[in-house]
Amino acid sequence: MTRAATPKLGAYAALAGAGLLAALILGRPELAALAAPFATLLVVGLSLAETPGLSGVLELDTDRQVQGESVELELELRSETPVARLELLLDLPEGLVAETPNPQLLRLHAGERRELQHVIRCERWGAHLVGELVLRAHDPLGLLIFEQTLDLRQPLKVYPRGETLQKLLRPLETQAFAGNQLPRTHGEGIEFADLRPFVPGDRVRRVNWRATARRGEPWVNETHPERNADVVIFLDTFAEARGRGESTLDHAVHAAATLAVHYMREKDRVGLVAFGGVLNWLTASSGIGQLYRVLDSLLDAEIFLSYAWKGVDLLPMRTLPPQSLVLALTPLLDERSVRALLDLRARGFDLAVIEISPVPFAPPGEQELDDLAHRLWLLRRDALRSRYLRLGVPVVEWREGEPLQAALEEVRTFRRHARVTRA
Amino acid sequence: MAAWLAASPLVRDSGDHGLLLLLGLGGVLALCVGLAARWSAALAFGVGLLGAEQAVWLARGPDALDPWTPLYAGAFLLVAELAWWSLEQRVPAWAERGMALRRLVTVLFACTGGCVIAALVVIAAGLPIHGGFGLELAGVLAATAALAVVAAVARTHVR
Repeated sequence: MTRAATPKLGAYAALAGAGLLAALILGRPELAALAAPFATLLVVGLSLAETPGLSGVLELDTDRQVQGESVELELELRSETPVARLELLLDLPEGLVAETPNPQLLRLHAGERRELQHVIRCERWGAHLVGELVLRAHDPLGLLIFEQTLDLRQPLKVYPRGETLQKLLRPLETQAFAGNQLPRTHGEGIEFADLRPFVPGDRVRRVNWRATARRGEPWVNETHPERNADVVIFLDTFAEARGRGESTLDHAVHAAATLAVHYMREKDRVGLVAFGGVLNWLTASSGIGQLYRVLDSLLDAEIFLSYAWKGVDLLPMRTLPPQSLVLALTPLLDERSVRALLDLRARGFDLAVIEISPVPFAPPGEQELDDLAHRLWLLRRDALRSRYLRLGVPVVEWREGEPLQAALEEVRTFRRHARVTRA
Repeated sequence: MAAWLAASPLVRDSGDHGLLLLLGLGGVLALCVGLAARWSAALAFGVGLLGAEQAVWLARGPDALDPWTPLYAGAFLLVAELAWWSLEQRVPAWAERGMALRRLVTVLFACTGGCVIAALVVIAAGLPIHGGFGLELAGVLAATAALAVVAAVARTHVR
């Protein structure tokens, strides 16, 4: 608790002193009478001023919320001494906005417990600490200010709000465990795959009677087994383009959360690699626990400036399971992430690149040279995309405002016409 | 209120108004500048100039005690309180009902108390006690002690 004098205190002292001195010099007691109220107010005010004994308890109604939703905060403020005027500011981190009035001005009696409610809207995803209170108390006559910061911070995780995807990108290869993906192989399942002639050992229930009647000999149905797949979400955290309060990283995290939720719903194993200045990874797994681990890891995603050269060989082998689908979310701004993705393709991974377009965040300048530089930059980006496409890697530019489903459909369309070749 | 304080000696004085006018106008102008620029020193200077105008009028006036002094004392305090209230940091805060009214009542109560204190001083000054060097010395010491008490109570503590 810090105590400071207001400008009024010094001014009143000066006026009282000047009045008393003038009374002595001029020999007019009326001047002393004019100065007396100022001096009396100073003495009375300073005597009445007490250092406030403020404390509080803070509770959030939930410690996890989705972006765009609100959280209720209950604050119980206690004062041991009377406070004539208390300014209370809930210092919220960036990305959280108070929907109730903030700051507030109130009065507390000695021993009073005041309950205050705040509603906080979670505008941005992230891991936040909520509950830093800045208090400024005034004495009854406004001569002193007492300032204090109460640290009642509670953790609040705001998860990115995903969008609904109708259809996911199918991986080229599946794994051995049960899931919702349809592999190219045939086996025990529900989805019809093909017809073939009956061979001894086939079950009678598999006989396709219509085909049998048409061909005069028994034919059986073949089905696709339901298998799961391994999906690794590759998040580029080397660089971002930022503007208007959002960035390419925000969109990438939003897409990563959407993809993670939908693939896990399909019983696929999902892993995460945040490839950037700081390497973070999560090995592929499934279940609700893994979903929360992935979402919590996404909350930690940040751009860390680093000049160190990093390659995918730094990642543990189990982070990138063989035959896994690697979905890269990248603005393709850093050469290291570009090379890493090409390296993944060279190692035979099923790779799809969703380019979080930085173009909306970098508008062309007004000068002719600026415009020329911008056009050259766009051409370089087109050349980079062509490099990927020549290697059979689908690269889709995803811009702000476009649904993620559209980007996935473009990837699917590319795969329909391209064939993966293996050396 | 400040304008009334500035004009009052001019109305009551029968002599040359030049100095009084200068001090009065200067005081009101300094108050206006202080309020506009949110400058505390200008407010203190403005109130000081208005007080100086009163001092000049009293010095040139009759020897008899001015019976209106308590009213002027309350008015000076009211001008100062309202001026510094206007200068307080504008915090866009939601306030509890009645906070401003309660504060205004406190200010008016303080001004009324100031009038009473000033009246007591004037009454005490009017008592038939003859002065002298000793009494003057006592007065200087009392004034100094009062300021010293204020300074001691107001010492700020920095974390």
